[in-house]
Amino acid sequence: MKLLLGLVLGAAFGAMLQLSGASSHTKITNTLRLKDLTVMKVILTAIGVGLFGVHMLDAAGWAHMKVKDLYLPGMALAGGIFGVGFAVTGYCPGTALAAAAEGKPDAWATVLGGLVGALVFAFMFPELEGYLLSMGQFGPVTVQGFLGMQGIWLAAPLAAGCLYLAWRLPGSGGTR
Amino acid sequence: MASHSPVEPVLPWWAGGLGIGLVLIVAVGLVQPIGVSTQYVALDGVLLYRVLPEVAAQTPYLQETTGEWTLATYEFLFVAGIPLGAFLSALATGRFTTRLVPDEWNRRFGSGPGLRLVWAFIGGFLLLFGARFGGGCTSGHMISGVSQLAVSSIVFSVTLFASAIVTARWLYSNRRRG
Repeated sequence: MKLLLGLVLGAAFGAMLQLSGASSHTKITNTLRLKDLTVMKVILTAIGVGLFGVHMLDAAGWAHMKVKDLYLPGMALAGGIFGVGFAVTGYCPGTALAAAAEGKPDAWATVLGGLVGALVFAFMFPELEGYLLSMGQFGPVTVQGFLGMQGIWLAAPLAAGCLYLAWRLPGSGGTR
Repeated sequence: MASHSPVEPVLPWWAGGLGIGLVLIVAVGLVQPIGVSTQYVALDGVLLYRVLPEVAAQTPYLQETTGEWTLATYEFLFVAGIPLGAFLSALATGRFTTRLVPDEWNRRFGSGPGLRLVWAFIGGFLLLFGARFGGGCTSGHMISGVSQLAVSSIVFSVTLFASAIVTARWLYSNRRRG
């Protein structure tokens, strides 16, 4: 049952990525070049809705939160490496799978490259663990935890800000 | 759906964003936040275990991620659902395409398929290396993590966009180089 739920939720996610243009190299690179911010508007809307919904669930005690550990400067370096890959391929790990299923052969190359990159990381993990991954360890910190307040009071205005920004940003153009 | 131009997204931005946000809310309510990049490691682990079981078992990161060396997990099926949903919606809206070189790439680097495939592979390598290094990707950090107001995810997302914007503006610039 839980496996089926995973497949259904994943399929809904994949359909949304495809239908909103997020699995398009041209849409992604034009968002990153700040020429056509459609995908940025999609992401900001998703975060806005997510911020509000997740923290409402949390306030009700129904959320299954899972906050990732913070390690500086490793986290910033990781984001930097990911960003270069994101710009070069025009896909992210999820949208590459969606684009591959749409028939785009370059997305298959990205998925293969990703499998190799993940494997190389797995082999390098023992060395990185004692070095970059342990430097500046802060654990699974959240902004609301740091400020010592209930998340929803922070999430609600931030969600409104994200949705306002998504609405105001410009965006249009093709996906090919 | 025939009224849509084949290069325009079917859904307006707000509908796509709302849909993704709702998937996240349902996932957090019922199981856990969404994530993709860990499952690349799980697939690597299971495949390696089939071919070289000793090597796989001696790699702690694979052992930890894959556990029982099986893909019959909620997490993997979520990720397997992504291409399923994308395939069905591309088919339903007449967007299935075998185009190899994207327009923006073609404009800047020409229509050669080899160059595009090599760089798509290298880009994929960097994506997953960075994602595993940071413990998440666009789904796990940007959508799930920022929605939970995780500081790690905010740091990852800010540096991701800064680096991606600088790279893309340089790589796909309109100026001719060389």
